[in-house]
Formats: sequence, C-alpha cells, structure tokens
Amino acid sequence: MTVRRKETLAGLLFAAPWILGFSVFLAYPLAASVYYSFTDYSVLREPVFIGAQNYSDLMRDELFWKTLENTLVFALLALPASLVVSVGIALLLNSRVKGMAFYRTAVYIPSLVPMIALAMIWLWMFNGERGLVNELLGGVGIKAPNWIGDPSWSKPALALIALWGIGNAVVIYLAGLQDVPQSLYESAELDGATPWKKTRFVTLPMISPVIQFNLIMGIIAALQIFAVPYVMFPNGSPARSTYFYTMYLFDNAFRYQKMGYACAMGWILFLLIFALTMIALRATEKRVHYGGV
Amino acid sequence: MRIPGASVLLLAVVAASIGLSEHVVRPKERPGRIVVSYWEKWTGFEGEAMREVVDEFNRSQDRIWVDYLSISAVNTKTLMAAAAGIPPDLAGIWDTDVAPFADANAVLVLDELCSEAGIRQEDYIPVYWDICEYRGQIFALPTTPASTALHWNRRLFREAGLDPDVPPKTLEELFAMGEKITQRGSDGKLKVAGFFPAEPGWWNWGWGYVFGGKLWDGGGNVTANLPENIRAFEWVRSFSEKYGSSDLHTFRSGFGNFSSPQNAFMSEKVAMVLQGVWMANFIERNNPKLDWSAAPFPHPADRPDLANLTFAGLDVLVIPRGAKRPREAFEFVRFVQSQKGMELLCLGQKKHTPLMKVSDEFLRKHPNPHIRLFIDLAKGKNAVSAPQVGIWTEFNSEMTNAFDEVYLMKKTPKEALGHVQARMQPKLERYQQALRQREAAR
Amino acid sequence: MKAARERSVRAERRKWALAIHAALIALSAAFLLPLIWMLSTSVKTIEETMKDPPVWLPSEFQWHNYWDALSYNSDKLGYVPFLVYGRNTLLICILVVAGTVISNSIVAYSFARLRWPGRNVAFALTLATMMVPFPVVMVPLFGLFRELDWIGTFRPLWVPAWFGAAFNIFLLRQFFRTIPFELSEAAKLDGCSEWGIFTRVIVPLSKPALAVVALFSFLFTWNDFLGPLIYLLNQDTFTLSLGLQFYQSQHGGTQWHLLMAASTTVIAPVIVVFFFAQRTFIQGISVTGLKG
Repeated sequence: MTVRRKETLAGLLFAAPWILGFSVFLAYPLAASVYYSFTDYSVLREPVFIGAQNYSDLMRDELFWKTLENTLVFALLALPASLVVSVGIALLLNSRVKGMAFYRTAVYIPSLVPMIALAMIWLWMFNGERGLVNELLGGVGIKAPNWIGDPSWSKPALALIALWGIGNAVVIYLAGLQDVPQSLYESAELDGATPWKKTRFVTLPMISPVIQFNLIMGIIAALQIFAVPYVMFPNGSPARSTYFYTMYLFDNAFRYQKMGYACAMGWILFLLIFALTMIALRATEKRVHYGGV
Repeated sequence: MRIPGASVLLLAVVAASIGLSEHVVRPKERPGRIVVSYWEKWTGFEGEAMREVVDEFNRSQDRIWVDYLSISAVNTKTLMAAAAGIPPDLAGIWDTDVAPFADANAVLVLDELCSEAGIRQEDYIPVYWDICEYRGQIFALPTTPASTALHWNRRLFREAGLDPDVPPKTLEELFAMGEKITQRGSDGKLKVAGFFPAEPGWWNWGWGYVFGGKLWDGGGNVTANLPENIRAFEWVRSFSEKYGSSDLHTFRSGFGNFSSPQNAFMSEKVAMVLQGVWMANFIERNNPKLDWSAAPFPHPADRPDLANLTFAGLDVLVIPRGAKRPREAFEFVRFVQSQKGMELLCLGQKKHTPLMKVSDEFLRKHPNPHIRLFIDLAKGKNAVSAPQVGIWTEFNSEMTNAFDEVYLMKKTPKEALGHVQARMQPKLERYQQALRQREAAR
Repeated sequence: MKAARERSVRAERRKWALAIHAALIALSAAFLLPLIWMLSTSVKTIEETMKDPPVWLPSEFQWHNYWDALSYNSDKLGYVPFLVYGRNTLLICILVVAGTVISNSIVAYSFARLRWPGRNVAFALTLATMMVPFPVVMVPLFGLFRELDWIGTFRPLWVPAWFGAAFNIFLLRQFFRTIPFELSEAAKLDGCSEWGIFTRVIVPLSKPALAVVALFSFLFTWNDFLGPLIYLLNQDTFTLSLGLQFYQSQHGGTQWHLLMAASTTVIAPVIVVFFFAQRTFIQGISVTGLKG
C-alpha cells in the first residue's frame, strides 16, 4: 500500500467514531425529523403522512409567533448585555491584583449551579414582595417591579439570571486576554495611551476573534433557552411572557403528542439559527482582527 | 506494546461504571411474587396514604407485589414510557388525562375486567363514574375524588360586622361582603382582601360554569365565548376594576406557598376562597387556630338553579397499553375500589370517597368537620368536571391565559374569550379529523 | 521633571488599582450574594425562610437540614433518595468524560494530523453541526432509542459521548495543529505507527487541552437537565438535576430549606474541583486556541 493510501486509511479509521456517530446520532435524526415534520405523528400510533399541513398550521398558530417573539426579545435583551458585561468583567479580572484566584472563582461559580437550584434561588430572589433583589433596590430608594408576576418584567429577570451565569464566557475571554502580547501594551504606553485607549485600540481588537466566537455561541444558546424558564414559570406565565420556542416545542412533542408538529418547529428553529449565524458572521467579519498569536 | 497502568485503571473504572449503570436500571424482582410496577403522582402524606393501601394489599396475599414509585409529571412520563414500549403496569394520573390517553390509544379498556370483578356504575357517585367512562368505554377507575366549596374566615367576618355563621349565598352578596372585609394599610396597599377569583386560581377554566355556561358542546364545537362565559369573565374583571389589578397582583405575589403558614387564606390575608375537600387538613397543619367554616359556593342571584355548584376532580388509575402484568395490576385496582381499600386511602388523604356507600366509621373518623357537605355537593346535579376532550391540556392552557389577560385587564372578556374560541375551534376540528384518520388507517 | 512625572504616574496607578479593587469586591459580592443566601437558607427552619423582611442569619443553625435532605424517606418529603441520584449522576459523568476525552482526541487527530481526501469538507460540516439545535433531533432520537430499547436506561446519556462531538473535535483539532509536525516526522522515522504517534507524542503533550475537554464535559453532564428529563423514567434512575425537582411539592409547598441544602450539596464538589483546577483550566483554554 502506498504511503498516501495508508494515511488515508488511518485518517478514516481515526475519524470513524465521529463518522459513525454523526450518521447515527445526527444525520439520521435530521433526515427523520424532516420526514416526521410532514406527518401527523402521535407517539403511540404510526406516523400518517399529511403533506405540508404542519408548516401551514404553524404559520397560522399564534403561539408559534408568540414564542418566537418571546425568544427573539429575550435574545435581544440578553446577548448585547452579556457581551458587554462579560468582556468588561474579563478585563477587570485580567488585572494584576492580589487574590485574583478568589475573584475569578467567585465569578465562575454561579455558572456551575444546576438549573433547578438556579431557578428556585432566583424565583425567591425576584419575588415581588419579599425578594432580595427588591429589598436591595428598595434600600437604595428604587421602587422595584414585580419581576415574576409582571409580564413586562419577566424576560428582563431571565436576562439578569443569564448575566449571572456568564462565568464560562468570562473564562474564555480571560484565556484570550492572556495571549495579548505585552509588547503591544508597552508600545501603546510609550505613545502615551491611557488605560481606556489601550483597551480600545489594543485589547479589544486582539480578542475580537473570541468575541465573535462567543457571539455565535451566544446566539445558538439564547435561541434554545429551555431549562430555567421551564422550571420557574409553569406554562410560560405570566400571560405567556416567558413561553419560549423550545418550551412550546417540548410541549408539542411530549405533552400534546404532536411530534410531527414539533419536528416542523425544530426545523424552522434550525433555519433561523443558521440564518442568524450567517448574518452575525458576515456583519462582524470586517471588525475581527486575525493578527493573533 | 506496553499498556500503561493509567489506561488499565481507566478501563477498569469505565467497565465498572457500565456494569453498575446497567444494574441500576434493571427492573426490580421479588422472589416468589409477580411484581407490578405502579407509578403515582403523590409524595408526602398523600403518598404515604397510598403506600399504606399498597402495603395492605401486599400483606393480604402472597402472589402479587405492588411496587409503588413516586414520579413527578407522571402523566407525561407514562405516555413517554408507553411510547418507548416500557410502560409501568399501573399509573395514577389525573381526570383530565383520560380523554387524551384514550384517544392516543395509550391505555387499556377495562370493561371486561370490571364486569368480571363486579365493579358497577351504580356503586359510584355519578360525576366520578362519568369521568372514568369515555366514548362509552371504561378507561380508568377512581382513586381519590375532590369537590369544592366556599371556605370563609369567621373571625374576619366578625371583625367586619358580618354574622360569622352566614356565608354569602349569591355572588352579589359575595362581592358586597368581600368589600366590607377588605382593608388597606396606611400606604394604600392591600392588607386583607375579602375575595378575589385569582386566589387560589385553580379552577380558572371553570368560572363560566358558575354562571351556567360551558366550554364544549360535547361534539365538534368549542363554546368558549358563550354569553354566560363572557358574563363570568366580566365578573372576574369587576374585582380588578374595584381593587386595582396591579394592587391585587402585588398583593398576591406576597402570598407564600399553598402548603405553608403563609398561605393567603391560612395567614388570614384573604377571607374567602374556593377550595377543595383537602383544605381542612392543610389548615390543621399550617394554622390550626384558624376560625373557619365551609358552605356551597354562591350562585348568581338570577340563577338559583345553579346553586350548590361544585368542581369535581378525580385522581384515576389506568393500565397503560403494553403493560406486562395487566391482570395482576387490575387485582390491585380492584382492591382499591373496595369500600375498605377506598376508605383507607381517602381517609389517609383526608378526602371523601367516590363511592355511593359510606361507612359510619369513615364519617366519624374523618378529620374534616364538613365532610358531609363535600359528599353532598359531589352527589348534587351541579357537580361540574372538566370537559372530556382530547385537547384539554391546550384548552386549559388557553383558558388560564385568557383569565390572566382579563384579570390583569389587558383584554376585555369578550376579546379574551373570542380569542380562545378562534384558536381552539380549528384545533378541535383538526384534532377530531386526525382521530378519524387514525381510526380509518387501523 | 522626570521624578514629578513618575510620581504622578504612580499616583495615577494607585488610584486605578483602588478603583479596580473596589470594582472587584462589588463584583464578587453581586455574584456571590445569591449563593450566600442559598447557604443561609439551607440552615434555616421552613418558617424562617418565609420571614418578611428576610433574615440572613437563622436564630439556630439547622444543620440537620442536610441530613434530612439527603436521607431516604424523610417524613416531610416522602421518598427522595438523594444519594442514589448522586451515584447515578457520578456514573454517567464518569462514562461521559471517559468517552469524550478518548473519542474526541482520536477524531481530532484525524482532522489535525492526517491527510485524507474530503477532510476539509468534513471538518467544515462538523463545524456546521454545532448550529443544529437539540430540539430538531430530539424526537427522532427518542424514537431511535426506543427502537434500541434504551429508554429508561442510562445508555442514551453516555453512549453518544463515545462517538465524538463537534465542539470538542474543534477544540482539540485546533490544539493538535499547534504541535510541531517535526515531532510526528521524527516518530515516524523511528518506525512508529499512527496510533503510536498519537499515544506517545500527541497525547502526552496535550494534557491541558484534554483537561479542558474533560472539565467542560463533566460540568455539562453534572448539570444536564433535558437529557435525563426525556430519557429516564424510573425514579430510582434519576440524576441530581432531576432529583432536585422533588423538593417542589405538588401543591406548591416547596421545602426551601431542604432544597437549598440539597443544592449546596450538589454544587459543592463542582466548586472544589474548579477551585483547584482553575489555573489548568484557563491555561488549557488559552492553549487550545479556543479563543481564536
């Protein structure tokens, strides 16, 4: 066997677990999902082909649009805030200060909390009458809203919870920041740059690939939000303000026995994520600076 | 090739984990007995009550062993398990699950087993038997029933100058008395409320029935926006108009959990609530000093024919399709249906029984001083249960949402109910069409 | 002149350092507050948890809450075998982490160090799959596992981990490419097979990257909620994240103090692991080129 052939064989063998896994756990379900989306599939009976009825029903389904709207609004609230806050915190945690290990752990721990505990803790913290958040705000003289009970404030509450869990993103930025060469900072200082200018013209451009990466990951995650609202807000109350797309999908699949309908929803979600990711990539490509290490 | 020690250790750990994980998921066996797996929704003292019945059954014979498991979201899980081909032999679900489960072909028909065992319709309070029967077949049998009544706080009545032994008989009286009792603090916030429909808000789908309306005509029509239903929601709205919807909302958010001393009724923040037969027990646990009483829920003044209306709920047992031990499971069901088994269970859960016959001992021992009231209400002609239609979960969801919109004054009753009607009618039609298609395909 | 400027620069720096310190303390407080509240609730009585205005320190520390939360058949809860849930979660985590590290490194090696036709297209496809949301495949996957008779067992939760995952493949591939190719060449000249190069050259040099992959997958699996929700049926097979639901009673009578005690117990091992692995973790991320 030629060297080339040998390497190809080795390459395929090494990649075999993924090729197998991809086919069985991804490609097949994706294809099946397309098929099911054109059927009426109620779990205990065989799927019945109904053409594009699921899709046309979805278009006329008010809950579909409502949950989509809720999800997009949430993403719009959570993403920009997460980006700014996580970069900001990472910059802060990158300074050479004593006891940095403690501060970093403090910021990271919240992202380790399991979903249910998280939901319960925040359900309590955001309680309109007695929650800690409102007690603290009241202490500073701000009349706080009824976070859990008011439809206009339930999504902001969820966005705040999301911010609390950005430890992961922060750690990734920290890694990126550590790779910014000191020499760049030194030459900036020689030019008389203030800390702010240094951040703006050295740090940010150098970690722009990381920012782009986290933005994409953030879009993919935000559009799939499920566990926390599922536990905190039964049925997406109040008034369906926290009924998100994936929750409605889950309900259709496992509570209303409309699996075909759920698959159709899944595909629309996929296309949406794909489109938004492409837009995000296209829009940020110009500002991403790849001169990194 | 040298195999490093670390790899061997890793492999050993992995192998051991796989072994243990497989062992954990193996179904339990009991030597000499046929094991029946039973999934039930109850935890805490309610779970204990059923466990006692299970223990009694297991003790009384040596052929079958019932394994009781407390499962959260038991209806969804049972459906999923049935879909996966590994359902439990017996499942304890809710009355509102009977129709969807039957439509989904997820449970066995029990007519034959019932007639063999001598279980007859006449032995049961009609409203509860009707819940178990669907499309002329028996799909479930009862465990614990529920009925509802007005509960009021006698001390608050006294303080407001009302006769503590005279509850309101009409809804108009309810509103007026509630007004008298309501107090606000010096900051204008609500301190004590007389009555408002959102508390506890467990039957928000049913207010239309209180006014003589209904949600479904039993056939192919959703009737969400009947004039009586709209009138009911206008009545709901009147409370928000009177007291201020955001005031009520803020007031409500300060209530503690249902089963805690901070419960609205038990902490004397709300003077009158619509609640079920279990309430006496929860009051005893959380605030035994409460001075309270119960009476039939009021009716509209112009509709005396709607007096003594009660919401009848039921927990039921079903045998999922694909159960490995249906006959043995039914043995246990039969035990529960006997007067002895049923009274043991219902006494433990502090509810009444779904059977027509009640022993004097049961009535005597029962901790709820108003138990006879609840039994009589359930037997009455105005005992209402949720519509037995397959799309009920979604329908209920819509009604809850509509209630929220009206109570928060975001939509008028006509708009909100019109909305529900517009959304649910096509869904019902689509659902029934799919049912017909599936029947045809079989 | 220079001395004065130096002094002002130093003063500027000190002001800056002070500001940063203050910000850091405020930040930590904000992040830790809910957790401190969680701890304080875990040692209160149920009545104390409801007090209005809320109390921080209970009058008496109810340490027995931890025992009540973790033991079987506590009369307040019914049957909540917390330690069983812990064992189940640990089993699944071990299997997932082992499978993840092993399979993804093998596959990444193929993408990073071996040339074969179609490799780049395959890699791009792999990246694209990161965009596929779980809900799209949720239903057919459930059907697949049902056909295999795996529903109700742990297999759907760990077996897929042994076949690679796009994110980890990406991470490790980026890292493997930073290892000088000369090392592989040298090993080949010594007569090493590809497997030999992989195990003797690449893996030993990849410890930080592998640590990161292991850690991420451990954290994900420890807290995974949706997977166990869908695939596990029998209560005795539940994991910790599902098990915490049992502290929520049907009628809304949540046992806050026990829930918080249980939650603290669930989080504690993870915090400990992170605290000690912190530096390796951050270094590992830096080295895997995840940031770029």
